[in-house]
This record gives sequence, structure tokens and C-alpha cells, in this order.
Amino acid sequence: MPRILATLLFLLTLTTLGGCGYNELQTKEEAVFKAWGDVEATLQRRGDLIPNLVETVKGYAAHEAQTLEAVISARAKATAVTINPKDLGNAEAMARFQEAQGGLSSALGRLMVVAERYPDLKANQSFLDLQTQLEGTENRINVARQRYNTMVEEFNAAIRLFPANLTNKFLLNLQRKEYFKAEEEAKQAPKVKF
Amino acid sequence: MGRATTIRFLATLLLLVGAACALAAPAVPPLIARVNDQAGMLSPGARQQLEGMLADLERSDSTQIAVLTIDSLDGAVLEEFSLKVAETWKIGQKGKDNGALLLIVKNDRKLRIETGYGLEGRLTDLQAGRIIRDVIRPHFRDGDFDGGTLAGVTAMIAAVRGEYQAEEQSTSVRGHSQDDIFGLGVFLAFALFTMVRVTGRWPKVSAVLGAILAPVVGTMFLGFTWLMLLAMIAIGLVGGFLFALIFGGMRFGGVSSGGFSGGGFSSGDSGFSGGGGGFGGGGSSGDW
Repeated sequence: MPRILATLLFLLTLTTLGGCGYNELQTKEEAVFKAWGDVEATLQRRGDLIPNLVETVKGYAAHEAQTLEAVISARAKATAVTINPKDLGNAEAMARFQEAQGGLSSALGRLMVVAERYPDLKANQSFLDLQTQLEGTENRINVARQRYNTMVEEFNAAIRLFPANLTNKFLLNLQRKEYFKAEEEAKQAPKVKF
Repeated sequence: MGRATTIRFLATLLLLVGAACALAAPAVPPLIARVNDQAGMLSPGARQQLEGMLADLERSDSTQIAVLTIDSLDGAVLEEFSLKVAETWKIGQKGKDNGALLLIVKNDRKLRIETGYGLEGRLTDLQAGRIIRDVIRPHFRDGDFDGGTLAGVTAMIAAVRGEYQAEEQSTSVRGHSQDDIFGLGVFLAFALFTMVRVTGRWPKVSAVLGAILAPVVGTMFLGFTWLMLLAMIAIGLVGGFLFALIFGGMRFGGVSSGGFSGGGFSSGDSGFSGGGGGFGGGGSSGDW
């Protein structure tokens, strides 16, 4: 009889854990990680476009060295600052990551403004292609970022709701995740100065 | 309040609600056909030709392409609206994500090709951008919307053709994967076996246990809904009682449980509907 009781108790524990969000929280955290992977992949994709872009612009606007240099160094910095999925809950690490990527965004924005001044460059087929790819990538980044934020919102809410909050507090200890905010600079259209 | 006043009041209310809805970003129009010409930009002949081309494409390659024209974005962002439409319509086959959308906004003079995950390899952003820039735009600038759309869709088909082959129409099973069902079956069998051994002599206890365990297990595997919960309580109650009655007296080695098989809904073949394809912001935008 005691063995049977123990089996029952074991079963009951299993089922109640399921009911208290043990499985659900893990699934939701995994979804956050996956969404973050997509964000990183799209950012990587943007980084990969830059050498070609810089080369093409250089061919037509060589004396814009300062702007080109800014893009190259911003890219180097963005590549250097990475974030471990474990640190998604670390506000400081996330802020650093966002700053590096934001720096690249604004450097690219300035480059595109500069490019506007060179009609030959604007008519160049490979520049147009690169511009198309860059726009496409920026859009993907935006989509991936929004999806990541949605997953984070769900996860953050889930670990605070009863009874999952107890499960998390005593068993899982999963951390709240940080949002990936849109850069303020990126939201505004770059201003052209003459 | 007289009858006329009541009617007037109701009419005003309706108008106000309508106005409030109109102010928000444009709603995603219903998917009626492959070519949804909400802005009335295409001639009936061109529309029919497009329908035919796109139906052929789906038959041979299973790839779904849809066309949507609207009057205005009402201040919404082109890319966001386009993705919203693509996600709502779920163009492309589930798992292959081989759908694409050509969105044309008449008054804003903007257009976008939205590419599903599965087509990003062939209809790249670059390809999409070139189709918009070099194929569609020249026609549209001349006001030739029929020609531009036909040429654009032809180019899109050429780009995506051959990436996927159509397969035999399989009945799609909605609901949970086989793994879930299998896990549930095994778990139920185990739970029932234990239950029977413990409560074989007291069918009422077994019934109560069943009524408690079945909904809990059901929630774990199938997710929470009230209907499911009620159904599971009933199933558990009856099941527990019956099991205790039937197997309680026996000495046996194992119990095989039937488990649950997901009901198969085969979707009817009337009209055009998205196959469940996914989108991730791929594609390109342009104007004319």
C-alpha cells in the first residue's frame, strides 16, 4: 500500500506542477530565446551587407571618407558587442548591445543621406540593389524586434501571474527579460543639411 | 422618445461607430480571391488572366501568390500593413511558407512585394526590388495598371517557379501533433492502471479520482479550455467508474488505453484560402 500511495503522490505532483506553469514557463522562455535568435540573425545580415555598400559608395564618393569611416567603425563595434541569451535579462548588457546596433543604424542613415548628393551613385545598379537589400534587412530587423518584444511581454507576464510566479520563485528562478527597443534616432527620418 | 427620434438616435450612433472605425488604420480586407482589387485598378480581363496564372502556379508548385489593391493606407506604414495582411491571410502552404503578396496602394502611389519565409531564397529582396523598379514602375508611371500588374506577377512567378513542387492534397489535421497525442495516451494508460490497482475495490473512489485526474491531465497536454475541462471531468468520472468495475476484480499485467486521436478536418476546396504560410518581413517596397 505505501508504494501505491507514493506512486499516486508522484503522479499528483507531476500534474499539479504542470498546472502551475512549470512546463509553460519553460516553453515561453524558449520562445523568447528563439525570437532573439531571429533578431541576431537579421542584425548579422545587415552587418554582412556593409562591406559591399561601403566599397560601392567609395567608388563614387571617395572624399566622403569621414562618413565611410564612421560606418566601418560602427560596424566593427556592433560586431564586437554581443549578448549571451542568458543575459537577456541583464538590463545593462542589453543597453550596451542596443547602443552598438543603434550606432550602426545612425551611421548608415548618414551614409544614405550623403549618397543622395551623388546622382551617378544613385543611378548605379549595384548601389540600387544594395539599397534595396539594406531596406529589406532593416524591415526584417523591425519585424524580428517586434516579435521578440511580444514574446518577452508574454514571458514577463507569465512569471508574474499566480500560480506560475510561485513555481518560478521556488523552482525555476527564471529571470525577467529585457525588451529590445527601437532606437530613437532610427525612428526619425535623417535630416538633410545643405 | 418617439419612434422617429429613436431611429435617428440609433442612426447617429451607428454613424459615430462607423466613423471611429474608419479613423483607425485600414482593416485587413477579407481574402476572397487570388486577386483582390479593392481599389478597382484592374480591368475584368486582366483580373481573370491573373487569376488563371496564379491558379496554375499553385497547381504545379503549390506556391500561393495573392494580389491586393487598396485605395489608401490612411497614414499606416506600408510595410506594417503589408505584413499584417500577409499574416492574416496566411498565404503559402503550412510548413513550406511559400506565399507572396503584391500590395498596391492607389492613392499613396506605393507598392510592396511581401515574401514568405520559404520564397526568400528565390524571390529575394533584391529580386523583388528589381521587379518593382524595372518591371512594374515603368507601366504604372504611364498609368498602365493592367500591364504593370500582369508583368509584375509574371516576373514574380518566374522568380519563384520551381522552388516547390505541388504534392498530393493531404487532409490537414488541425490540433495537436502526434507526439502530444501519444504522450497523452501513455500517460492516461499509466494513470488508469495505477488507479485501477488502488481503487479496484471501490468504484466510487475510482470515479472521483478519474474526475479529478482526467481534467488535470487534459489541461497539461491539450491546453486549458472550459469546455475541455467539463468534458474531461465527465469522461474521468465515467471512465474511472467503468474501469474499476471492469478490471477491478482481475489480476492483469497491463492496460492498453485507446488514447485520443485528433479529429481530422479536411478543408473544403471552395474558393481561395491561405494555406498557413509564415512571413518575416522579407520583400521590397517601392513607389511610382
